[in-house]
Amino acid sequence: MTAALLLPAGLAALAALLLPLLIHLARRTEVAPIDFAALRWLQQQPRPRQRIRFDEWFLLAVRLLLLALLALWLAQPVLRGSADMTPWVAVVPGADVRAARAVAGARAVWLAPGFPALEQDDLPIRAAASVSSLLRELDADMPPGVALTVFVPAVIAGDGERPRLSRRVNWRIVGGVMPEAAARAPMALTVVGDGGGLRYMRAAAMAWAPPGRPANFAVADPAASLPPLDRRLVWLAPGPLPAAVRDWVRRGGTLLLGAGIVADARMTPVWRDSVGAPIIEGATDGQGRVLRFARVLAPAAMPDLLDGDFPLRLAALLGSRTEPARVAAADHAPLPGGPTPADAARDLRPWLALLIAALLLGERWLATARRRALAA
Amino acid sequence: MTQDLIPAGVRTRLRGLRLMTRRATRLAGIGAHHSRSRGAGLEFAQYRAYEPGDEPRAIDWKLFARSDRFFVREAERESPLVAWVMIDCSASMAQADRAKPTWSRLAAAKALAAAIGEIAMAQGDSVAMVALRDRGLRLLPPGGGRRQRDRMAIELHGLVAVGGFPAAATLAPLWERVAVDHLVIMVSDLFDDAAVALIERLAAAGRDVRAIQMLTVEERDFAFASGHLFRDPETGAELIGDGPALRDGFRQRFAAARAKLRQRLAASDIRLADYVLDETIDVPLRALFSAPA
Repeated sequence: MTAALLLPAGLAALAALLLPLLIHLARRTEVAPIDFAALRWLQQQPRPRQRIRFDEWFLLAVRLLLLALLALWLAQPVLRGSADMTPWVAVVPGADVRAARAVAGARAVWLAPGFPALEQDDLPIRAAASVSSLLRELDADMPPGVALTVFVPAVIAGDGERPRLSRRVNWRIVGGVMPEAAARAPMALTVVGDGGGLRYMRAAAMAWAPPGRPANFAVADPAASLPPLDRRLVWLAPGPLPAAVRDWVRRGGTLLLGAGIVADARMTPVWRDSVGAPIIEGATDGQGRVLRFARVLAPAAMPDLLDGDFPLRLAALLGSRTEPARVAAADHAPLPGGPTPADAARDLRPWLALLIAALLLGERWLATARRRALAA
Repeated sequence: MTQDLIPAGVRTRLRGLRLMTRRATRLAGIGAHHSRSRGAGLEFAQYRAYEPGDEPRAIDWKLFARSDRFFVREAERESPLVAWVMIDCSASMAQADRAKPTWSRLAAAKALAAAIGEIAMAQGDSVAMVALRDRGLRLLPPGGGRRQRDRMAIELHGLVAVGGFPAAATLAPLWERVAVDHLVIMVSDLFDDAAVALIERLAAAGRDVRAIQMLTVEERDFAFASGHLFRDPETGAELIGDGPALRDGFRQRFAAARAKLRQRLAASDIRLADYVLDETIDVPLRALFSAPA
C-alpha cells in the first residue's frame, strides 16, 4: 500500500505556510504602546532579545496544519495497492461447481457477464458469452498480483484466439459441459411494401433459418400495426415514411428502407460492392438503427443480390450475432503477457476534504474561544 | 453635578481629618485656628435669628430693644487657613493601570482635591485650587462654603491631563496668589524635576507644602508578563522591553529614586505621602494630616 501524489506540483502551495507565520510575527510586534511615565527608570536591556516567540502556538499549529492539508489536497493524493488481495476463483458456467466451492478463502464468481457470486446457483443462462472476452474483462478488473483460478468444462465458447492476460491463470479443467445458449431462433423479418424486392428478402430470411426449420418471415401492410422491436422491419413501400415507423426506430427498432425513401438521419455507406459503390447505407437514430438500400432491389442495379453470401452480409448488418466458437478448454488456456491493467488507485481527496472541514471548524472554535477569553 | 468626584465610602472616612498648618499645630493651645465659633471674632458678619441653644450673651440686646426680637450677632471668624490644592495636569497624570483604565492619576487627583475641599468646608476653612497646565495656570481663588465647593467641582471636572509641566514663567502668578503661611498640597506624580523644584521653592518661601505622589499600580509592581512597547506620554520616548526582564532593575531604580525624592523633600521640610491607585484616597490624606508623632 503506497501513497502517491497525482499532482506533486500542488505541494508548491505549501509555500502558503509562510503566510500565517509572517502574519503572526507581524501582528505580534504590533503591540499597543503602554503609557509609562516612569520610563526614565526603565533601562533598555543591554542586548535586546531577538528571540522569535510564538503566542497561541496551538492555534498557529492548527492553522499551519490546515494550510498543509489544503496543499496536500491540491496535490491529489491517492493510495495505491490498497486493493483487496484475496485470490479469485472464476467458474465457467457448466463446470463442476464442487471443486470450486472446495477452494477456501477465495472470492468465487461465475465467469458470466456481471460476474455473479458463485453462491448463486440458479445462474440465469444468457446468451453464451465468450469465455475469452469475460476472462479479459475479469483480468482488467482485478488488481494486479491477485491470483486467479478458473474452473472450466472440457469444451468452452471462445472467440478464436487464446486470450492473453496480464497474470498467470490457474486453468483447471473439470467435468461438465458449458450450456448452450438458448436455442437461437432465426432472425425475424417483417417486410412491408412492394413485390419487387420482396422475394429477395424472403430468400434471405429462408437462408438464415436453420435446416429443417421455417423462415421467420412475414409480410405486412403499411397500415398494419408495427411489429415488436426484436423483429427487423424492411420498409419497401414507396412514399414518405410514417411518423409511427420513425418512433418505432427511435425506441430501438432496426429498420431497412428501400432505395429512395427519405429518412431523418444522415446515412453513411456501411456495405460497398467490389467496385466501391454503396449497397447499403446506415445510421443510428435514437435507440435504434436505420439502414437503406442505396440502389433499387433488382439484380440489374445490384448484382450482389444474387451473390451467395448476400443473406449472411445482410444478417451481419441487421445485427445477427456470430455464433461463438467452441473450443477444447485444454487448448484455450490463457497466455500470460497481456497488458497490465491500470491499477485503480483510491482517491484520498474526499477524506482529506472531510479532515480539512473538521480542522477548519476546530480552528474557528479555538480562535473564537480565545477571543472570548481575551475579552472577558 | 453629574457624578461625585469622591468615591463612595470615602466621605465618611474623611470626617476625622483636619487640615492643619505647621504653624497652627505649633500654636495649638492658643486656639487661633481650632475655634469654630463664629460669634467670637471681631469683624461683624451678619445678624441672624436667635435659635434655641445660642448663648444668651451672644444676643444683641440693643437690637432686641429696637425690634423686640432676639438677634444673634455673628462675626466672620478670621480664617487662618487657606489650603491650596495644586494639581499637576501634565500628560503623565493621564496614566492609568490597564486593569482599571478610568481611574487615572488625574481622576484620583480630582478626588483628592474634592476631598480636601470637603474637609476644608467642614472645618470652615478656605480652599483654593490651581491646575498646573503648560498652556496656562487655572486658578480658583480661595473661598469657603458650599459655593466654593461647587465651583471647585466644576473646575475639577474640566481638567484634562495633556502636555508637560508648566515653565517657571507660567508659574509666576502663583507667587502672587499663594501667600505665606498658606497650606499648599501638591498632587502630582513628582516625576518631573520642575514639579519638585516648584514645591521646594514654595517651601523655602515660607509656604507650608505637602505633596502627594501619585503612583500607578504598574509602577509599584511592574507586573508586566510579556514584552511591551513602553512610551513616555510627555517626551514621547519609547522603549521595547520584556516585562519580567525589566522588572527587577526597574523596581530597584524606582525605589531608589523615590527614596531620594523623599530625602530631598524632607530636606525642604515638605511632608510627602504616596498614593497608589489601588488605595482609597483617604490614605495619603491621613498620612499628611494626622497629628505628627
